[in-house]
Amino acid sequence: MMRALSNLNPQTLRIIALLLVLALVILFFSTQISNYLNGRLFNRISSSVAIMALIATAQTLVILTRNIDLSVGSVVGFTAFATGSLIAGLPDLHPLLLVSYSMLVGACFGAFNGFFVAYARVPAIIVTLATMALFRSLLVEFADGKSITSSQLPQWLTSFPNTRLFELGQFQFRASFVIAVVIVIAVHIALQRLRVARKLYAIGSNPEAAEMAGINQKLTVFFAFVCAGALTGLAGFMFLARFGNITVVAGLGFELKSVAAAVVGGVNIFGGSGTVFGALIGAVLVDLIETSLVRWPLVSEFWREAVLGTLILTAVALDAVVMRRLVALRAAKHHEKREKEVSHG
Amino acid sequence: MTAPVLSLDHVSKRFGSTLALSDMSLTLHAGEVHAIVGENGAGKSTMIKTMTGIHQPSEGTVSVDGKVRTISGSQTARELGIAAIYQEPMVFPDLDVAENIFISQVGGGWLQNKAKQRRDAEVLIERIGMDLDVDRAASGLTLAEQQAVEIARALSQDVRVLIMDEPTASLSAHEAEQLRRIARQLAADGVAVVYISHRLEEIFEVADRVTVIRDGEHISTRLITETDTDTMIAEMVGREVGNYFAKGESYARDELILSVKGLSLDGVFENIDFELKRGEVLAMAGLIGARRTDVALALFGIHPATAGTVAYKGEPLKITSPKQAMDAGIAYVSEDRRKLGLAMPIAIRANISLATLGDFLSKFGLINRTKESETAHHFRERLNIRTPDVETQVEMLSGGNQQKVMLAKWLNMQPDLLIFDEPTRGIDVGAKAEVHDLIRDFVREGGAAIVISSDLPEVLAMGDRILVMREGEQMAILNHEEANQERIMALATGQDDPGRAAA
Repeated sequence: MMRALSNLNPQTLRIIALLLVLALVILFFSTQISNYLNGRLFNRISSSVAIMALIATAQTLVILTRNIDLSVGSVVGFTAFATGSLIAGLPDLHPLLLVSYSMLVGACFGAFNGFFVAYARVPAIIVTLATMALFRSLLVEFADGKSITSSQLPQWLTSFPNTRLFELGQFQFRASFVIAVVIVIAVHIALQRLRVARKLYAIGSNPEAAEMAGINQKLTVFFAFVCAGALTGLAGFMFLARFGNITVVAGLGFELKSVAAAVVGGVNIFGGSGTVFGALIGAVLVDLIETSLVRWPLVSEFWREAVLGTLILTAVALDAVVMRRLVALRAAKHHEKREKEVSHG
Repeated sequence: MTAPVLSLDHVSKRFGSTLALSDMSLTLHAGEVHAIVGENGAGKSTMIKTMTGIHQPSEGTVSVDGKVRTISGSQTARELGIAAIYQEPMVFPDLDVAENIFISQVGGGWLQNKAKQRRDAEVLIERIGMDLDVDRAASGLTLAEQQAVEIARALSQDVRVLIMDEPTASLSAHEAEQLRRIARQLAADGVAVVYISHRLEEIFEVADRVTVIRDGEHISTRLITETDTDTMIAEMVGREVGNYFAKGESYARDELILSVKGLSLDGVFENIDFELKRGEVLAMAGLIGARRTDVALALFGIHPATAGTVAYKGEPLKITSPKQAMDAGIAYVSEDRRKLGLAMPIAIRANISLATLGDFLSKFGLINRTKESETAHHFRERLNIRTPDVETQVEMLSGGNQQKVMLAKWLNMQPDLLIFDEPTRGIDVGAKAEVHDLIRDFVREGGAAIVISSDLPEVLAMGDRILVMREGEQMAILNHEEANQERIMALATGQDDPGRAAA
């Protein structure tokens, strides 16, 4: 089994494994919860994944460079609120301008993080831990005790996430989900094909060698944070559109979920490897388990967090063990092949 | 003759008060393999770093194609066609071979054309005559393959000067031969290859010219056909030995402390045999990659040996952990102060008591600070550690004083056997003499010492007997009377027949 699999690209293998786990989880819960497998489940998960997938993608960009962004939750909250107050004040603003505004606000927060990480050389975990609190307080200050309600928002905005683009049987494909998936695929392709993206991987893979190879590390890390910020800002926009009612606690806890999604999706927490497609499936898996646990009478709500924690631990530990074995197998195989060639030649 | 591709003219490089390069001149021509040899610390790395723009010369100039240039960083060096590969290759483990080769490519648009990249990578890999699948991830490559990837990367950037720093030090004989062939091939294609190696015999296979440097100075540059190993060795070690390096009397007693027979660690070193008496100093000499430190780590239980026996004070002893070694009275003073030796941000007092914390506990199991301070003060005076008080953080001290704190830590254990690994590397002459006195005091009081050193005068000054290693093999043990720098260097570089030396 391992032998046959060892021919596959490790990233492809990860995705296959993730899909398999996903199927097993669905199968398991369908035996536990009556009336589990239906269109409602898909719709519920696809709506919430639409937001989390974008944040997990942003998180992946940063983790690839051996950094982390703990401020994503606060950035989502702030951009959702700021975008909401902008459209409440200017209800005739063009939708595209509104989206650009969200992304710009997010990118500014990203640039703030990126500046301290890349140029001031403060470890990302410290910078973003600080900005997580800082941006949240900024939101509290900005909100000034008020909150955004859906009645303040134009009709197009609140209805767009639930717009059904197409349906497959019971499954409704809603605009927010489709857009999120399209963006994930676009970023996925960009990461595989763009030259600048290769630099993200290079820096996470071996920072010293990246320096020697003449890669501008500071600029690249800064760039990763800015892109992540813009994507997080977009997630803030989606958050606003989905919920309509925004308070100062919007997006709380998203940092944990986004890191969980990325890591479960096979993104190496030490940088250098992973795909956003994996992070998307990771996000689906995390969300699916969360949603299902709510409906599973056997687990009390106090244990839900523990299950999520266990999932992260298991995923990473398993990944480390399996990948190590795979690399060893592959090396052995290559060696064998070489020996054969030598003896034949 | 055309202008040299690269030349150093009267280059000096100062770091604080030390002169790492002194009035160094060197020319490199297209199509030659130019070997550079010298002892550890002769200034080879500083010279490379000057060529690749990591260091700027304090005085003198670097010229490319006859024009004086300021190489302000590795980026500029690359643009001028100067690249270096090191013993530890710089590859990206998560990227595949083709991506590794073209990582610093400029131009060609935003998108990477994978198919073209793949084809180009194959051409380059073929050009250096390697058999390597360009789709493989670099994490699974052997050291030699990783070096090939680095060479291909340099070629992809139209390299004109390729510096190879000890490229074969960790390679097998077959791989090393392959690498030398690549070096010859590149020279045939018009690249100027700088080849730095401790293996003198391979220099005769690969080089056209050879330059000897010593103590940061240029000693000679000769055609390889006009020199031989004896000349090279004499030039490498030919410094004058000052008084301070004079060997003191031996304090060796009759009691045997350590007897090592056939000690081996698979693939690292083999068949190490020696005996050590109370009061004796055994010096271990050899070049980088001789595996002396690995022998020490085996004796101290960090990387236990896989074969052979150790008898300690007449009893067989199998050492499998540092704790066990310390309990038996064996201590190891690491060469890497920062990584293995000292807790830098912590006070001198706490560092000194660290290895023997059990002796400092009060009856409630708390650490007795008064006792710690007393001990620290005792050592501060005895070892002449220059610091206002023992609460100073170790990182605030000079290198020599840090070294003394580390020695204090281990002396406090009152070991019977102390292994010193490069005890005076990177510290000034005054502190060096003090450390030497300390080692002598230690053996005079009945301890036994193993001193690993790459500094030949130090080896001769300290060692009652001198064990010379080369690439994991014990070449010989010389008595102090029969040892001299040339003899040791000849053994360490493999130019002397061990059979003859042992006789």
